[in-house]
Amino acid sequence: MAGKISNTPATYTPSPTSQNKKRPSIVTGSDWVRPDGRGLHQCRPAFLRTGAVNSASGSAYAEFGNTKVIVSVFGPRESKKAMMYSDIGRLNCNVSYTSFATPIRGQVHESFDPYTLKLCSYFSPSTVIFCINLMLLVCQASDSKDLSSMLHKALEGAIILESFPKTTVDVFALVLESGGSDLPVVISCASLALSDAGIRLYDIVASVSMSCLGMNLVIDPVSEEESYQDGNLMITCMPSRNEVTQMTVTGEWSTPKIHEAMQICLDACTKLGMIMRSCLKEAVSAPEE
Amino acid sequence: MAQMICLQRWKWMHLDAFSHYAFMSATCSNQYGLMDGLLEELEIQQLHSVSQSTIYLLRTWSLSLYTIPRQIKCFIIVGAVASANGSALAKIGCTTMLAAVKLEVMTPKLESPDEGCIAIDFHMPPICSPLVRPGRPAEAAPVITKQLTDIILSSGMIDLKELSLVSGKAAWLAYLDIYCLDADGSLFDAALLSAVAAFSHLQIPVVSLNDNGRIVLISEENSGAMWEKEPVNKEKRKLKLDTLPFSLTCALHKNYILADPSAEEESIMETYLTVVLDSSLQLVSLNKPGGPGLAQTSAIQDCVALTIKRVKELQKMLNEAISDMEVD
Repeated sequence: MAGKISNTPATYTPSPTSQNKKRPSIVTGSDWVRPDGRGLHQCRPAFLRTGAVNSASGSAYAEFGNTKVIVSVFGPRESKKAMMYSDIGRLNCNVSYTSFATPIRGQVHESFDPYTLKLCSYFSPSTVIFCINLMLLVCQASDSKDLSSMLHKALEGAIILESFPKTTVDVFALVLESGGSDLPVVISCASLALSDAGIRLYDIVASVSMSCLGMNLVIDPVSEEESYQDGNLMITCMPSRNEVTQMTVTGEWSTPKIHEAMQICLDACTKLGMIMRSCLKEAVSAPEE
Repeated sequence: MAQMICLQRWKWMHLDAFSHYAFMSATCSNQYGLMDGLLEELEIQQLHSVSQSTIYLLRTWSLSLYTIPRQIKCFIIVGAVASANGSALAKIGCTTMLAAVKLEVMTPKLESPDEGCIAIDFHMPPICSPLVRPGRPAEAAPVITKQLTDIILSSGMIDLKELSLVSGKAAWLAYLDIYCLDADGSLFDAALLSAVAAFSHLQIPVVSLNDNGRIVLISEENSGAMWEKEPVNKEKRKLKLDTLPFSLTCALHKNYILADPSAEEESIMETYLTVVLDSSLQLVSLNKPGGPGLAQTSAIQDCVALTIKRVKELQKMLNEAISDMEVD
C-alpha cells in the first residue's frame, strides 16, 4: 500500500438504509425463491475458457454467475534451492482475492462461516468416525492461506506427481469477483488450467458445493445464501473415475440430509465435468489464430 | 569518453580478447561507421547465445524502421466487475489489465474541506507472469503505481471537488485498484488505459446523510420513501472528465524505434520512452528512465508523433466501449 492511504482518515463503505441482512423468514417453505431466481437444485450457468493468460504454461477463466476466477499454471519448473530432493513433483497453490472482489473493499473473505460444528451427536457410530476424519480436513477457510491449502488438497490426488520429479508446478488463482461458492469454482478452474498446461492428471477435477438452509438444500449457493446458511458441504471429485478427492462439511447437518446432498453434488459434478471436457475439446479443435 | 562507454559495454558483453582488440582499434581510429557495424555484429553474437527468437527480433527491427503499435487484439470492456462502482478491462496485445474503482466515505482533510481523494494501487498478482512469485511483490508494481498516481492527479482529469459530499464532513475516497492479469510488456500503457476507462465508467451512487452523521446508500426501490431525508447526491451520476490521458511506450534501440514493445522485446532493448498526451493532444508527461541508450531529439519527436496516432485510436475505442455499455 502506498503511504498515501495510511495518511487518509478512516473510511467506510456506505451501507444500504434498509438492513435486510437477516435470514428470510420462509426458508422452510417450499415456495421460497432464491435471490437469483434459480431452482433449488439448479447450478448457475458456467462460462469456462482456457488460455486466458498468455505468459503462463496453462490458464483458465471461469465465471459462475458473479463469481469470476482466473487460474494460471506455471511449470513444471525447478524447485526452490532450499527444498529437499524429491522423487515426485511438488504442487504449490496460492489463492488470492482482488481488493474489489467483495462488497466491502479488502474485507477478509469467509467462505465457510465458523458455525458451530455440532455434527456428531446426530450420527450413527460409523458416520461419526467418518465425520471426525472429515473435520480434521475441514479448515475454517477464512483467508486465502486456508483456501490455498484447500485447493492444494483438492488437486493433489488428481495429479500424476510422478511424471515430473524434482520440479514444482505452481497453481496461482486470483478471484476477480466473489459471488459465492468461490472455492469450488477455483478448484474446477484450476483443474482446467492444469489440463491446459499439459500436466498429467488422472482425471479432471470438478467441484460443487451445497448449502443447507433450514429444510432446504440449495446447490451452488450465492454469497447471500452463504451468509445465512446452517451448513455447507463441498465435494470435489473426479467424475470419470467416480472418486472423491476432497469433501468438507461444516455446520449443522442430519445424516439423511448429508446423503441427499452428497448424491446431488456428485450428479452436479458429473455434469460440470462434461462441460469442462467440452471446453477443453473446443480449445483444441478451435483453429489457431 | 566514447572509449570509456565502449569499454563498459565490452565488459557487459563478455567478449573474448580478440574482439576486444578489434574493438579498441576501431575506437582509436575514430571509425564510427566500422564501430557501429562491429557493435551490431557483436551484439547479434551475444544474443545468439540467449535465444534464436531475439535475433529474429533484431532483424525485423532493422527491416522496418518504425513498427506500428500492436493494433490486433486491442480492446476495452467497461463494467467488468459488478461489485465495484466503476470498472474496466483493457487488453493491448497480450497485456491485460483489470481496473476497478470503489468509493468509500471519508472525512475530508482540514486544508481542503470540499475535496475528495483518490488512492491508486497497481498490483501484479502471481498469475500474471512467471517472474512474480507469491509473497515477493514485483519490483515494477510500485514504480507504475507512482507513475499512474502522478499522471492521474496532475493531468487534471478529475476535479477532486466533484468527489465532495458534505463540505468538511464527508467526501468520497475513490480507491482505484489495477490488477495486471497478463504481463506482456508496455504495462504502463495498458494500466493507464484501464484506469481511464474505469473512471469513465464510474457511477456515483445516490446517498443521504442519516441521523448519526453517517452516509447511507439509498436503494432504488425505496428511494421515494426516503426523499424526505434530503439525499446528498440526488441521482446516479458520472464524473465529469475534462481530459483523458493516454500513453504510448516506445522502445529505443540504436537508431530504431519500436512502438509498444512486448515483454520479450523489453528484455533486450536499450531504453524506452513513455509519452503521455491528453485528449486535446497536449503533453502530460514524458518519461525516459535512464538506461544505457540515449534518446535523440528527433527520436523523441517521432515518438510523440506515434503517440498522437495512438491517442486518437484509443480515444475512439474507449468511446465505442462506453457507448456499447450504455446501449446494453
